Amino acid sequence: MALSLTETWQNTLASIKTWAFTNSPWAIHYNSGSCNGCDIEILATLTPRYDLERFGVILQGSPRHADVLICTGPVTLQSRDRLKRTYEQMPDPKFVVAVGSCATSGGVFLGCYGVVGHIDEVIPVNAYIPGCPPRPEAIIDGVVKLLQSLQKK
Amino acid sequence: MNILGPIINVLFFPAGLFVLIIGLAYLWVDRKLVAQFQNRIGPRWFQPLADVVKLFFKEEVVPDGVDARFFVGLPILALAAALTTALYVPLVGLQGAYNFPGDLIVVVYLLSVVTMSLALAGSNTASRFSLIGATRTLTQLFSYEAPFLLALLGPAIVAHSWQINTINTYAGTHWILLTQPIGFVIALVGLMGKLELPPFDAPEAETEIVAGAMTDYSGRGLAIFQLAKAVEMVVGLTLIAALYLGGIGNPIDFFAKTLILLLFLAGLQSLFTRFRIEQTVKWWRYAALLVLAQWVIMVVLGQGVLS
Repeated sequence: MALSLTETWQNTLASIKTWAFTNSPWAIHYNSGSCNGCDIEILATLTPRYDLERFGVILQGSPRHADVLICTGPVTLQSRDRLKRTYEQMPDPKFVVAVGSCATSGGVFLGCYGVVGHIDEVIPVNAYIPGCPPRPEAIIDGVVKLLQSLQKK
Repeated sequence: MNILGPIINVLFFPAGLFVLIIGLAYLWVDRKLVAQFQNRIGPRWFQPLADVVKLFFKEEVVPDGVDARFFVGLPILALAAALTTALYVPLVGLQGAYNFPGDLIVVVYLLSVVTMSLALAGSNTASRFSLIGATRTLTQLFSYEAPFLLALLGPAIVAHSWQINTINTYAGTHWILLTQPIGFVIALVGLMGKLELPPFDAPEAETEIVAGAMTDYSGRGLAIFQLAKAVEMVVGLTLIAALYLGGIGNPIDFFAKTLILLLFLAGLQSLFTRFRIEQTVKWWRYAALLVLAQWVIMVVLGQGVLS
């Protein structure tokens, strides 16, 4: 009886936690060497036309406040350590979304002398959004799918 | 000696749980109104609650180079100060749970404790952004505190009392807004400065200094600071409505008057862009002079005309 009570309690806590995380994903944007195409699309996603505040997404300045790290571009040698540091500054639980072809695979920059490769080679990625650049609708779709994957767990 | 009454007063109503819920609701109304003014749909009704619950579930990073006791304690101090003020103001039209002659001054200074602990929290962390944020918070505090206090004392003078309940009763028959319009405007704008809302949000300007004093706060500390700000907003709105807008006598009065004030706050937030910190200080210098001018007029005309 006592065991099932703790279990129910834990289940309730877990469902509250999932509800809170899926309804309030605060984002931080990091450009690790992108051509700015994806960054412009991310900014377009945050404009009143698409209004991500409907889903609780707020762009935060500080990595300490953020839950979702939105990365664009291939990782250059210069930005590798900074990307790692930004990721490590975020409090757990944290998620990473790679936006654009370069972030998912390295794109046209793959094999360049100054490029490490795609985001996954430096930090673990939870969701990939392909496209060069992806449309705002695609970015919203990617974030929503990331949140849906949280609900299934 | 009844013990249950004070415990309910402190934990559930009017301070504690009740004012936290009202604070979150008002935060949502504010965000929704700003979103509507910006031609957006805006957040859902449970958004501030989801934000706070999420922050409580998150890891709290205590960075290197901070005094951990202050880092953990200052948000609690801020929330405690904000919740204490809720005991003295006429929330939902009821008389304050406690009152004594001079509680207006106590409430104003407890509201400053919220800002002070925010600034101390910023200067406690080693991040340069939070240091700049803390400096700006204090600069702004020193510039708006005097005009805000003078603006709130105008009604106290005409009511011949420093007690919020007495002023509230007096304001029920006199709309002080009509005789002291300058004081009303400055009290309202002073509340915006206190809450660091957009025209005066240089202390937490995210395009310049990341998140100001709260840059290194994550999880629980950030959530508690946000709750303290929400409570501060409700208490400030109640105070201005009680002192200037004909008093608060019943729940309908309370919600109508504070929500109208909130509509004005949201409109001003979306109308103005951020002032630089020295522009803020300059603005408040003129505001203080205007309030002083109003005081001189009040004294010269004689209290017989106004009261």
